[in-house]
Amino acid sequence: MARFGETVGRVATLPLVLIARAFDPVLRLWQRGTGTGGMVAFFLLPNMAIFGVFVIIPLVLNFVYSLTGGTNILLGDRSFIGFGQYGRLLECGNYLQPLTCREDQFWTAVRNTSLFVLFQVSLMVCVSMITALILNRNIAGRGFFRAVFFFPVLLSPVVVGLIWRWILQRQGLMNLIVTNLGFDPVVWLNDRFFAFAAAIGVSTWAHMGFYTLILLAGLQAIPKDLYEAAEMDATPPARVFWRITLPLLGPNLAVVLVLALIRGVQIFDEAYVLTGGGPGTSTLFLTQYIYEVGFASFLRNPGLAAAASILMGLVLVVLTLIQLGLSRRAERGNTR
Amino acid sequence: MSAIKNFIFRRRGRDGGWHWTDIVTWVWLIGGTILMFGPALWLVSSSFKGPAQLAEFPPTLLPYVQEVATVEGHDAPLPLFEATMEDGTTRILAEIRRIGTSAQMVDPADPGERISVRLTDRTPLREVGLAVDNYVDPFLSFDFMRYLGNSVFVTMAATFLTLLTNSMAAYALSKYRFRGRDAVMLLIIGTLMVPLSVILVPLYSVVSAVGLLNSLWGVILPTIATPTGVFLLRQYMLTIPDELIEAARMDHASEWQIYWRIILPLAAPALAVLAIFSVVWRWNDFLWPLIVLSRRELYTLQIGLNTYAGELNVQWHYILAMTVVTMIPVVLVFIFLQRFITTGIAGAGIK
Amino acid sequence: MGRIALEGIRKSFGTVDVIHGIDLEIGEGELVVFVGPSGCGKSTLLRLIAGLDQPTSGKIEIDGVDVTRKGAADRGLAMVFQSYALYPHMTVRQNLSFGLENARMPKAEIDQRVEEAARMLDIGELLTRRPTQLSGGQRQRVAIGRAIVRNPTAFLLDEPLSNLDAELRGTMRAELAALHARLATTMIYVTHDQIEAMTLADRIVVLRKGRIEQVDTPLNLYNRPQNLFVAGFIGAPNMNFFVTEAKSGRAALPGGAEVVLDHAGPVTIGIRPQHLRLAQDSERAIAAKVHLVEALGAETVVHASAEGAGSILTVLEGQPLIERGAEIRLAFDDENIHAFDADGQRIG
Repeated sequence: MARFGETVGRVATLPLVLIARAFDPVLRLWQRGTGTGGMVAFFLLPNMAIFGVFVIIPLVLNFVYSLTGGTNILLGDRSFIGFGQYGRLLECGNYLQPLTCREDQFWTAVRNTSLFVLFQVSLMVCVSMITALILNRNIAGRGFFRAVFFFPVLLSPVVVGLIWRWILQRQGLMNLIVTNLGFDPVVWLNDRFFAFAAAIGVSTWAHMGFYTLILLAGLQAIPKDLYEAAEMDATPPARVFWRITLPLLGPNLAVVLVLALIRGVQIFDEAYVLTGGGPGTSTLFLTQYIYEVGFASFLRNPGLAAAASILMGLVLVVLTLIQLGLSRRAERGNTR
Repeated sequence: MSAIKNFIFRRRGRDGGWHWTDIVTWVWLIGGTILMFGPALWLVSSSFKGPAQLAEFPPTLLPYVQEVATVEGHDAPLPLFEATMEDGTTRILAEIRRIGTSAQMVDPADPGERISVRLTDRTPLREVGLAVDNYVDPFLSFDFMRYLGNSVFVTMAATFLTLLTNSMAAYALSKYRFRGRDAVMLLIIGTLMVPLSVILVPLYSVVSAVGLLNSLWGVILPTIATPTGVFLLRQYMLTIPDELIEAARMDHASEWQIYWRIILPLAAPALAVLAIFSVVWRWNDFLWPLIVLSRRELYTLQIGLNTYAGELNVQWHYILAMTVVTMIPVVLVFIFLQRFITTGIAGAGIK
Repeated sequence: MGRIALEGIRKSFGTVDVIHGIDLEIGEGELVVFVGPSGCGKSTLLRLIAGLDQPTSGKIEIDGVDVTRKGAADRGLAMVFQSYALYPHMTVRQNLSFGLENARMPKAEIDQRVEEAARMLDIGELLTRRPTQLSGGQRQRVAIGRAIVRNPTAFLLDEPLSNLDAELRGTMRAELAALHARLATTMIYVTHDQIEAMTLADRIVVLRKGRIEQVDTPLNLYNRPQNLFVAGFIGAPNMNFFVTEAKSGRAALPGGAEVVLDHAGPVTIGIRPQHLRLAQDSERAIAAKVHLVEALGAETVVHASAEGAGSILTVLEGQPLIERGAEIRLAFDDENIHAFDADGQRIG
C-alpha cells in the first residue's frame, strides 16, 4: 500500500521533476558565475519580489493615500491634503455618540466593532475553554469530537454566512424551534439586537474549533503526574483547576485571547454575508466601513479609507506585538 | 458488551455512578455535535427542496417532491393533488392549470372530464425525494460552471506558487548564512502584523498599476508570499541536518539540485500541511477577490454566491444548492485530512 | 595521486580564531588521523580540506594543484560524516548512485560501481532498503560505500565510528584498516578515540586549540612525546607527572628517588602507569600510600598518593596482593622516563 502511494506520488510529480531537471544546467551555470551568494538571491527573489510589490509597497503607499484627497484611486490624480483625512475621522462632538461625529459611520463602526470584540472574545474564550477541558478528559471518541468542533473552521465565510442566513430567515429553522417552544416567530436579521447577537454567535460558531485546538494542545502539555500528585494530596477538583490547570495553561490562554482579539477587530466576511451591515448600520464593522468607503460606496474616498485602515492597523500592531511576546513565552512553557 | 459500555461512558464517579461532570461532558459533546453539524446538514437537506416547499412554514426536515402523473392528452407530467370534493369525498386529481382562485383538474383515470376545484380545497401529494433541478440548473443555465472553474484555477495556481516560492525562500533562510538574513526574517515577521484589511486601498492601486485588475492573477499573486508559509517551512527545514546538504555538496549536487532532490522531499510533511492550508484559504477567500474582480465572468464561487444571495429576488433553491457545491471540497479536506490540520495547528498555532 | 598539502591554514568564525596557522603534508596512500580534545579544531580542519568551509587564509593543495577556492564537489574528495548523512528518502542504491548521477556518469558504469562497492562492503542485499531500515553498522557501511563509489583521490572520515556500540566499533575498525590496505587511497580520519588513532594511523596529528602539537607515527608519539600535552593525551591511563626541580644534573622524585637529568631549573618528570612496578628492597623507588585497588584480573590498577606529588596511578601485571592503606614503593627504569622543561617541551 505504501509502495502504491509512492508510485502514485512519483507519477504525479514527474512533470515537476522534469521541469526542475531542465532548470538544472542553467542554474549550475548561474551558481558557477555568482557563487552561493547568487543562489541565495535566486532562492529568495521570487518570494521577496512578490512580497515587496504586494505587501511592502502597499504598506508605504497607505500612508501616502491617507494624506491625499479626492475620489480618484490613481495616486497621480490625487491632491496632497496633509492630515485632513485623519482630522475628518477624529472630528467629533462626543465619541460615545457616533451621530455627533463628522464621520458618524466610522464611529458607528468603531463602536460596533468594540462591542463585538468585547462580547465575541469573551464568549469565544469561555466556550473554547470549556470544550477544551471536556475534550481533555479521558472520553471515548475524543478524536472524533475534536474534529466535530473543528469542522466549521474550514467552511468559507460566505458559506457560513449563507447557512445561518438560511436558518435565521423568516421561515427558517430557528423560527421553527422558537414557535415549537411557544414563542412568536422573529425576523431575526431585521432586528437590530438579534442581528448583532447573530453576528457574534455565528462568528463564534465558525472559529471556536481553532481556539479549542490551541487550548487543548496546552492542556495536553501539562504533565499527568502533576494531577496525580494533586490527587494524592486530596485536592478538590475546583482547586486543581484554579491552582494547577489555569496557571500552567496561562500562556496558551493569553495567546488565544490576543489572537481572538486580533481576528475580532478585523471581522468582515461572515458578518457581511450574514447581515450586510444591517439592519441600518447596526452590524457595520470597521473592515466593512473601509471597504465601502474605499470601493463600494457611491462617493468613494480612498484617502479616508486609508486613514481609517491605518488607525485600525495601529491597534492590530499593538495586539500583535503582545501576541508575539506571549507566544514566545507559551513556546517556552510547552517545551518545559 | 458491558466492557464496551464502560469504555464509551468512562466516568468520574467511582462506584460507576454518574458524577455531574460526566453529565455535563456528554450533554456538551452531543449538543455540540448537533450544533456544529446540524446547520450544514440542514443546508444540505434544504438544498434538495423545491422553491414551493422552501417557502412553507413550518419547514419539513426532509425534502419532498410533488408527485406527478402522465395524463393522456398532456405532453408534460401533471402534478397530483388530493382534492376535497363538494360532497366531502376526496379524490386524487392532476392539475392542468390554475384559473384565478380555482384550478382546472383532471382525474388521471378519466382524462376526458375536467373538474374545477378551489385552490383552498386541495393539498399537493408529495413523497420524500430530491429536487435535483436545484443542482442541475445552475450548472446548465447560470455562470456557475465558470465560477467553479475560476475558483479551481485560483486555488490550484496559488497553492502551487505558494509552495514553490515559500519553500525556496525558506530554504535560503534556513540553510544559508548570508548578510541581511536576520533583516529578511524580521521583515517577514513584521508583515505577519499586516492583514489584508489594513492595506486594501494601496494594494488595489498596486494591482491596478501592474494591470492585474479584473484578472485572476490579480487575485492569486498578492496571496502567494504568505509570511506564515515561509515561517512554517523554515521552522521545519531547520530540523533537517546540515550534514545531509554537505554530503550532497560532496556528491556533486548543485544548490538547485540540493533544493529539489534533498530538501523538498524531506520537507514533504510541512509542505503537505501548507498545501492543505493554502487550498482552504484560497478556496474560501472573499474580500480580496470581491475587490479585484468586477467582471462577472471572472467571479470565483464565493463572490458569485454572494452576488446571487444579494440579488433582489433571492432564489434560495439555487443558492442553497450552490452553497453545498462550494462546501464540498472543504468537506472532503475535512474528512480525509482533518488529522493533518489539527496537529498542524496544535504544533504551529497557525490558521 | 592523493597528496594533500596545507600551508599556513587559518580559520576564524567572526572574531573567534579556530585554526591558528597549520602546515601539514600528507603523502600518497597515507592514513593520517587527527586527534585532540573536543574543540581542538580537528573537525574544522577536515571541513576546510573537504571544501565545506573556506579558510580565512592559507593554501590547500591536492596533488600539487591549488584547490583553496574550489568548491567541495570539485576537489575529488569523498567524505564519511559522523551522522552518516544518508539521504533518508532514498534507497541504499540511490544513496550510492546519487553523486555519480550528478557527475553525469553513464548508467551502466554507475551500476557497475555500485555493485562493486556493495560486494566489497557486503551490503548487496540492502540495496533496495531505506536508511531507516538499517542497523547502525549497516548504515556505517553504506556511508563508506557512498564514498567508495566516487573513486576519490582521498577519503575524509569525520568520527565515523562514534555512533556505534563498543563491540561493533572494534569490528568496523578492523574492517576500515583492511579497506585502507586494499584501496591504498589517502585517508584523513578524525577521531577523539586514542585506540582508533593508534591502531589505524600511519601518522597521527595531535591538535590542541587550533595548533598542531605533534605529528608522528603512533609508536613514536607514545615513546617520545614532544611535549607535556601529547604525553598526557596519548596513552591510557594518563601518564603520571611529577613537578620538581633539576639541580646539578639531578632531579628528585617523592620518596627520595633521583633521576639523572642534563638540565637545570623546574622540570616535569613523566612516567606511564604501566612503567611503574613494585620495588625490590634496595631499589631506587617512589614511596606512596595506597587509596584504592582495582583488580581487573589480567592487571591491577593501584591508586596511590605520594607526599608532595598528588596521586600516582600504577598498572601492575597479574594480581599482586595489595591492600588499601598499605605503604608501597614503586620502581622504574631510566629509559621509561620523560622529562619536560618549564615550557612543557621535551628534554633530551
